[in-house]
Amino acid sequence: MPMITRRRLLAGSAAALALPAFARAQSAIKPRLTAISQWSAGSDGAAITALGKKFEEKGGVWQHSPVPGFTTEMMNKLRAQIMAGDPPACSQLKGPEIAAWSKIAPTVNLDELVAAAGYEKFVAPDLAKLHKPGGKWIALPLQIYSTNMLFLSKRAMDKAKADKIPVTWADFNGLAEKMKAGGVAYPIANGGTRPDDGQKFEAALAGISPAAYRAAIMNLDKKALEGPEVRAAFVQVRKIADWMDPNVGAQHFSTNLKRFVDGDMGMMIMGGWAQGVLRNAGFKFEDFMIAPGPSDNGKSVFLLNADAFIFWQRKEPDLQAGQALMAQLVMDPAIQTMYSQITGSIPVRTDVDLSGEGWSDGQRRTAAALKDAIASNQAVLSVAHNMAQENGLTAALIDVITEYVKNKTIKPEQAVTRLAEAVESAR
Amino acid sequence: MVRRLPEYLTIWVPLLLSAAHLVSFSLWTIWISFTPSTLVPVSGWVGLRNYTSVLASRNWQIAFDNLLLFGSAFVLLSLVTGLILAILLDQRIRGENVLRSIFLYPLAVSFVVTGTVWSWLLNPGIGIQKLVHDFGWTSFRFDWLIDRDMAIWTIVIAAIWQSSGFAMALFLAGLRSVDADLIKAAQIDGAGPVRMYRRVILPTLWPITITVIVIQLQFAISTFDLVRALTNGGPGIATQLPALVVYDLMFQRNLLGRGAAAAVLMLLILLAVLLPYAAWRYLQRRRVRHA
Repeated sequence: MPMITRRRLLAGSAAALALPAFARAQSAIKPRLTAISQWSAGSDGAAITALGKKFEEKGGVWQHSPVPGFTTEMMNKLRAQIMAGDPPACSQLKGPEIAAWSKIAPTVNLDELVAAAGYEKFVAPDLAKLHKPGGKWIALPLQIYSTNMLFLSKRAMDKAKADKIPVTWADFNGLAEKMKAGGVAYPIANGGTRPDDGQKFEAALAGISPAAYRAAIMNLDKKALEGPEVRAAFVQVRKIADWMDPNVGAQHFSTNLKRFVDGDMGMMIMGGWAQGVLRNAGFKFEDFMIAPGPSDNGKSVFLLNADAFIFWQRKEPDLQAGQALMAQLVMDPAIQTMYSQITGSIPVRTDVDLSGEGWSDGQRRTAAALKDAIASNQAVLSVAHNMAQENGLTAALIDVITEYVKNKTIKPEQAVTRLAEAVESAR
Repeated sequence: MVRRLPEYLTIWVPLLLSAAHLVSFSLWTIWISFTPSTLVPVSGWVGLRNYTSVLASRNWQIAFDNLLLFGSAFVLLSLVTGLILAILLDQRIRGENVLRSIFLYPLAVSFVVTGTVWSWLLNPGIGIQKLVHDFGWTSFRFDWLIDRDMAIWTIVIAAIWQSSGFAMALFLAGLRSVDADLIKAAQIDGAGPVRMYRRVILPTLWPITITVIVIQLQFAISTFDLVRALTNGGPGIATQLPALVVYDLMFQRNLLGRGAAAAVLMLLILLAVLLPYAAWRYLQRRRVRHA
């Protein structure tokens, strides 16, 4: 372990915190970054490796230790490192978990770096709030997905003799009926996992009323939770459930993709990442269409899911320099472009131009939807993907939703009561 | 003493180490279950609050009911299947070794593999039901996997497939160790095969039966990977089991205190099985000594 003198420590802190001093300090200390994430394979692995390359090009030492598997596995590693007093300089973490975890170990104040980059005005307000619990930036979002994109199978549309993309839930229901009548076995393609079921509910409620979604799910307002919009959302979810293949069991949504493309299944409400999965499975852009999820007031509703990095306080000057470098990279439009083009997400910055090469129509439409949604205050945080609430509360909500989707004897009114009760007991 | 030191070391050091681990971690878990720990362990005292909230939760109630059903059905059915297989194999048939390996083989497969394979087999859209439909019997229905009332039985089926070979092996050993004179005497007295099994052979098997029951029960109580791969607690939350609830609370909901409370409840269920067994063993030994 290198000796850390007070002078070096001061120099390091100055390098990390004061941006003007950064360039000067860089020549003295070689920035180093220890990072953990769950991204090890596929496009996620490729993207973070590319980010590491950029870090090294800037003269840094990149030490990324991926923890493959579920996010919970990554969290267990993070928990162990924090408890041992040796947190990584930066780690993957997202949503309200950033606030929760920031209470168990000191984090880095990134305010000056964010201000110097003029970054905040390009970030969706609700998203920014998640990354600055207590008013200070301690984490930075990396990429955005919408969880309520509507995927339409071209062949199923042909069977239904339809060519119009549904805008409202009424349009959506009408199209599903037409598909059913036209011989599409299951108008809705769906997996059977918990987030899958959760996504149907959040898409329904936010599409019916973004304001009600914000009050009930994001703010857990009791009156809104028991309100008519939540009931209407459960009614819509039951319709969706009736159009799904009951045989999916607990399978992943990707199991159904072939039947979706073949036109045996018609529509899929899924996150933007499904585009990458469809493309990786060898399907063409002509096989499907992508549009923002249904919205009853006609304006785009965007359910935000964003991956992020949180920065943990370290005393080592080289790690502090590494953190400053990493923060600058993550905010850089060129880096965000590179990252999103690999994973199929959209950049966090709303000022990135997606008209050029390397972007798909789906990505362009998603980015446009985000801009519209922010303008009309209809960009909300996804509950199914742990953005709206901490994990414990999310799980309690999803329990009710997934049981409702799978058990058709539960009435919408009962589901409303159970949802409110779940919130009450999980608090 | 010095000459035997290596032997003592090989036995006692690992034994003490694992005992120390077991006891210290159990005590630690019990302590955590009384603290307000969430993301990380913290000190503090909340009394029985973690326990009351776990016991009041729908997940735990469903998990507990499932455990009662799954535990009894699985133990009973694997016992019966194992016994029947053992008796059939005991008929000095040809190819016994091959058959025995086949029946024992599932035990060598990991539960995750068993669960995944059965999740495909039992899926009505692609598995057994589809096969029978393709043969022409289209009204055939076997959709337990997606039926929330029957889904727990799919776990019973997969678990029996996995471990009845184990019961069979133990029973077979028991059958083979029945005193040959006893059997000859029964034959001379004119007992037929059914009567022979019922009156002479099976009664000698009951110590093995109890061992099998206890081993299978503690397996049933700690079942985790099988359900996780087969139904993942679904449809909805219909096939929750206690071990799933513990994992979910601790690592998915980040509620360490409540997860620890659920784990301690599991330990209590396990003790409810193991303590009577230990008492029974103790009484057995005393009776033998006195006789």
